[in-house]
Amino acid sequence: MEPQSSNASRLLDAHGFLDRVIAELRVMQSPQKDTLVSVLQYLSDHIRTTRSEIGALRQGGNQPLFGNTTDELEEIITETARAAGSIMDAAEAIESVAATLGPPANGALMEAVTKIYEASAFQDITGQRITKVVGVLLSLEVKLASLTEAFGSLPEPPGAALQGDQALLNGPQLMKNASSQSDIDALFETLS
Amino acid sequence: MSLNKNMRVVIVDDYTTMLRILRNLLRQLEIENVEEANDGDTAFHLMQKFPPDLIISDWNMAPMTGLDLLRKVRADARLRHIPFIMVTAESKTENVIAAKQAGVSNYIVKPFNADTLRAKIASVCGVAA
Repeated sequence: MEPQSSNASRLLDAHGFLDRVIAELRVMQSPQKDTLVSVLQYLSDHIRTTRSEIGALRQGGNQPLFGNTTDELEEIITETARAAGSIMDAAEAIESVAATLGPPANGALMEAVTKIYEASAFQDITGQRITKVVGVLLSLEVKLASLTEAFGSLPEPPGAALQGDQALLNGPQLMKNASSQSDIDALFETLS
Repeated sequence: MSLNKNMRVVIVDDYTTMLRILRNLLRQLEIENVEEANDGDTAFHLMQKFPPDLIISDWNMAPMTGLDLLRKVRADARLRHIPFIMVTAESKTENVIAAKQAGVSNYIVKPFNADTLRAKIASVCGVAA
């Protein structure tokens, strides 16, 4: 397989060559040239549009396309595991208390606890599904990177960086980036 | 005849939550002699040191899958007779066939309930549920 940079330069060369051919045809006096020029111009415009559409798919700078999305999805797995752990802690506590009670209370509580254990399997199932989605996104990212490479340098995507209040709407922060309540309190103090 | 409460069970899953669910449900069946492993390799080493009476394993794990573990168990003279229950979200027909061909004793699809677990354990251990 040829290196991707070679593909990129060949594609750019081909596009440049196409534009040169169009320019040369335009100055010719032949009456049959118009149809050919229209077809070639259509092809050239189409390549240009495709390039900018692929450019628009990229995030700003050299950020991976789905980098943040996959991090967010993995965070869901971590958060649901933590929540499931807390639910199980509570269920185990109820189970220990139920063991000290007589019927019918203990039976009813044990039955409820069993249902909690069964339902806690949601974390395993959702985790597996999310892992599958992350895999698909990563594979798409590799394919798009290869396509982007093939089109050479692309224009910066329009609107990659949100402005004003829109730039403040980022949703929950990833744990590794999130500030703790004490960080916020400290910051708040410095601002007041 | 009822379940042998003293049986030694090895449970294998890469999700800690699922290990905890299995352990708790087994405890409700009064089966307390349970050892956990987060992956197939660790589980296999545990079994080689001290063969259990029952293996309950997830399928979708890395690097050794539950199916790989099942095949290793069935290829091992000391372990091949041990009942092996696959507990997995993999529910396609071809999965069940592959597991059966590899010698699985029973197959539970996630999410499952306590009654199903009890019934499958009873079935592979040859006792009434």
